[in-house]
This record gives sequence, structure tokens and C-alpha cells, in this order.
Amino acid sequence: MYKRLVFIAVIVLTGQVVSNPYDLQLLTFIGINTLLALGLNMVMGYAGQISLGHAAFFGLGAYTSSLLTIHLDWSPWLALPFTLVFVGIVAFLVALPMLRLSGYYLGMGTLAFGMIVFFIFLQWRSLTGGDSGLIGIPPLTLGPISFEFGAAPFYLVWGIVFLSFIVCERLIDSRIGRALRSLHDSERASAAVGINTSRLKVQVFVFGGVLAALAGFLYAHMVTFISPQTFDFLMSVKIVTMVVIGGMASVWGSLFGAALLTLLPEWLHVFAEYEMIIYGLILVVIMIFLPQGLTRGLLDIYEHFKSRRKTLPKSHEG
Amino acid sequence: MSISSPEEKPFQKVMKVEGVSKAFGGIQALQDVSFQIEAGHIHAVIGPNGAGKTTLFNIIMGAYAPDSGRVIYKEKEIQGRKVHEIVSMGISRTFQNVELFGSLTALENVLVGRHVRTRCGFLSAVARWPWVKEEEKAAREKALEILDFVGLKKTGHSRSVDLPFGWQRFLEIARALASEPQLMLLDEPASGLNAVETQQLGELLIHIKERGVTILLVEHDMSLTMAISNEILVLHQGRRLAEGSPREIQDNETVISAYLGKV
Repeated sequence: MYKRLVFIAVIVLTGQVVSNPYDLQLLTFIGINTLLALGLNMVMGYAGQISLGHAAFFGLGAYTSSLLTIHLDWSPWLALPFTLVFVGIVAFLVALPMLRLSGYYLGMGTLAFGMIVFFIFLQWRSLTGGDSGLIGIPPLTLGPISFEFGAAPFYLVWGIVFLSFIVCERLIDSRIGRALRSLHDSERASAAVGINTSRLKVQVFVFGGVLAALAGFLYAHMVTFISPQTFDFLMSVKIVTMVVIGGMASVWGSLFGAALLTLLPEWLHVFAEYEMIIYGLILVVIMIFLPQGLTRGLLDIYEHFKSRRKTLPKSHEG
Repeated sequence: MSISSPEEKPFQKVMKVEGVSKAFGGIQALQDVSFQIEAGHIHAVIGPNGAGKTTLFNIIMGAYAPDSGRVIYKEKEIQGRKVHEIVSMGISRTFQNVELFGSLTALENVLVGRHVRTRCGFLSAVARWPWVKEEEKAAREKALEILDFVGLKKTGHSRSVDLPFGWQRFLEIARALASEPQLMLLDEPASGLNAVETQQLGELLIHIKERGVTILLVEHDMSLTMAISNEILVLHQGRRLAEGSPREIQDNETVISAYLGKV
């Protein structure tokens, strides 16, 4: 409860303090990326099922809603439930055969799925606009408020992030959450205690997919133009990196991972053409020194210093 | 936990295995094996390595379908059913190499074991209806009771991977008990235990039996097996070699020669 109030306070305060539209948009993107990382963290961090095609659901959400609003003149709010249901069905159909695989093979399968979806965006020109993408996507409005610029989209996205956090935390702290974590530790044992593992895997995959579709919906209507490159293989890898860097099986880790991976490229602009090298270097260093991810790693360091201050001579446990 | 002591239901067979055969490639792992398990008994299966004991377990639990034959649990055929159906019907198991959920606490391991006796799904987990909270509370109480029963009350909040090996064995039994089974399949529960722990295991299995749970036990520790079993089935190269009380098996010439390798 206490953590949630702090979270809300930080959101509200940030929205009040930050006035530069560029910074606000950057913060909004962190929120959207957090949704992506959160969904994948449920699939990968908690249930232990690797997915290298998560950007496909992000893209499907963005394209579905954009097409409905551009071509059929639907209101975005009407397009939203349709988009979520449609992407949920796609995720279900993909998960059915895919999640019979495991390990590297599941990675390959989801990677191929991501590629296929990307090439559909790219090649089905009559529908998706091909390389140049879709323009003129209507922004979200609610009465007099438009969620295109300024603080409004920031609050909307972070409000949804906040709700998603609650949803995920409740899921994790339940019978379903325990089942997901058990699947991660030993699929054999999880089946032996009577968990319908294939069904659970499909369910969590659909959950992650729908959350990514929601992120795609928000992205499309905020930026008002989309093109395939946003949803390519590199984006999928980026989401995986957010989860791993932030911390597997950690809700807050998704937030830190998303923030870091969104902000790093911005900060590294000063290095001009060396940007990618420095970027890679930072990720490698984090993985070597904080293999559990930022969240766990920083907590460990904090606890280490705290306990050292208390009892200096004791350096190992019994 | 349902009590179905032998006095109440005399002659009741909780499980009948009828003519089960299973081959892997050219290797006949099980050949026409039949036996029956009396309710409320500890029924041991012994035999040299490769005799087909683990295959038998996997067939009963639904991990493999037999090539031929039937497995009947409480008058219902269960061969070829899904594992989770079989668990919810009242059969549970432990593994030869302990398979716990390492990152979960001991208590959480037992709670996962209650999966088939609880029903909260994705939506109810998010909605947290009043019945979900009730269910969770009841599950925790039950899990703590079971931890206490196997003697691990104090370790509830330790991660299972941090527990000493012997305790992990007991925790795995606790997890298997959490689904309120009527039949438990234990795959070499004494392996890796020291003498004291083996003694405690024997006592625990007797207690479990007293709660009305039937046990099918695969075990290499002969003194334990002889001390606690009601019947013993001897498998040899996938075939049924002998069956009988511990005394009968100890005196059986064929069994002795098979074990000493003089067939």
C-alpha cells in the first residue's frame, strides 16, 4: 500500500515538475516500454518461457487500432477493446503450437513469429502502407482533453502502468503466480503436482500479448504515425534486454529496465558514432556485475553495506 | 483427508494394474505386469536397476501411455489420461531425484501442491473476490499443518533450495500430500538420506498410512522396505518375478538368486 502511494506521488510530482514537452514524451515512452517489459516479464521472468517476438504483439496492437480508426472511422475508444481481443486471439493461436516447444526452440519459434508479423507490416502495402507506414492516426481524446501532447498522455500512460502493476502484483501473489513460478523452476514437477502446464503457458502468453497490444494502442494514438521499423526484431530484443537488465521475475525490474533502455540512447548521443559501443558496454558490465538484474543487484549492494555497518568483523554466514 | 482404513472397506483394491507392457525402441521396459494395491497398505516395488520400476510409475502417473494393458484406479481406467487429471483424481508422486521448486519457499512449495484442490484463476486472482481470500487463507492453514506433519514447521519461509537435502526429501513428500491423495507414489524416498533420516522417513510413512493414504513405494533400502511394507512386488527385467509379504519375499529362492545375479 505504502509503495503504491509513493508511486502515485512520484507520477503526479513528475507530471507537475517536468514541463519540457520533449522530456514529457520521453517519460511517456518509458511508461509504454514498461508495459511491454511487464508483459514479457510475466512470460519470461515468472513463467520461464522465452519469447523473442514480443514486439509483434506491440505492432499488432498499434496497427489493428490504427487501421480501425483510419479506415473505418472508429473512435479509438471503440477500437481499443476490439484490438485487445483480436491480439489476444492471435496470441492464443500462436501459443497453442508454439508453447509445446521449450528452451532454444521456443526462442527460435517466437523469433520466427516476430519476423513474419514484421514482414506482413512491411509487405502488405495496400493495408499497412508498407515501408512508409500509416499516418493520420487520430489522437485519443476525452471531452476537451487531447492525449497527444503535454502532460495528458503522460498521466494516461502512467495511470495505466500503475493499474498494470497492481494487476501483475495480484497475479503473482496468488495461486496462479505460484503456479507460474513453479513452471519456471521445474516444468516436470509442476505437471506432477497437477498443474495443467500447457494451458497455463498459453494463458500467460496471451496475457503478455494483450498487455503489449495495449502498449501498441497507446503508442499509435500518441505518436499518430507508425511504421514497421518500430516493431522489428531489434525491438523484441530490446524488450528482452529490459526484462533481463531490470531483473527477471521482478515487477519493479520491468520499470527500471524500461527506463534505462529508453534513457541510455538519449544520454549517449554525446558520444555520437560511439553510441552503440558504449551502449553495449554498459549492458555487458551490468550483466557481469549484476547478473540478477539492476533491481536485485542494487538491493544486494544496499543490504551488503547496511549489514557491514552493523557488524564489521562478520563477513560470512554460518 | 479422507480416511478409508482397511477395517472399514475390507478387500478394497485402490489400484489394479492389468497386463501392462511398455517398450522403448527394442527394449522391453515392462512385460505383462499385473498387480493390485490394497487400500491403506504400503505396497513396495523392488528390483535391480533397469527392472522397470520408474517406467511403471510414469505409466501410472500418465507420463507414458502403456503399449497394452490397463491401469484401474478406484474402478476407473486411467491409463493415457493427462497427469493433472490423475492428480486431481487423488494420486500424487515424488521423484527419485528431488524435484522441488527451488526459488519458492518451503511453504510455497506445499501451496503449489494444493493446486488441484484450489480453483482461483487469472481473473479471480486479479479481482481478489472474497472467496479467493478465503481459499488462500484455508490453503495456507492446510499447508502449514502439512509442514508440521512432516516435521518442517519452522522452515516454512526458507527457500527450498537452501534446505539440507534430507529436509528437501521431506518437503517433497509434504508437497505430494498437499493434493490430498488417496494413493502416493514414492520413488526411492530414502536415497541420499542418512541412517537417522531414514528412520524418520520410515516413521513418517507409517503416519501417512495411518491417515488412510495408500503408498506405492519404490525403494532400494531393503531394511526400510522390509520393515514397513505390507506387500512387496519384485520386478526383474520388466517382468513380475514374485509378490508377497516381506517374509515371503525374503525367503523366495528366485528373488535371492536374481538379486545375487545367479538366475
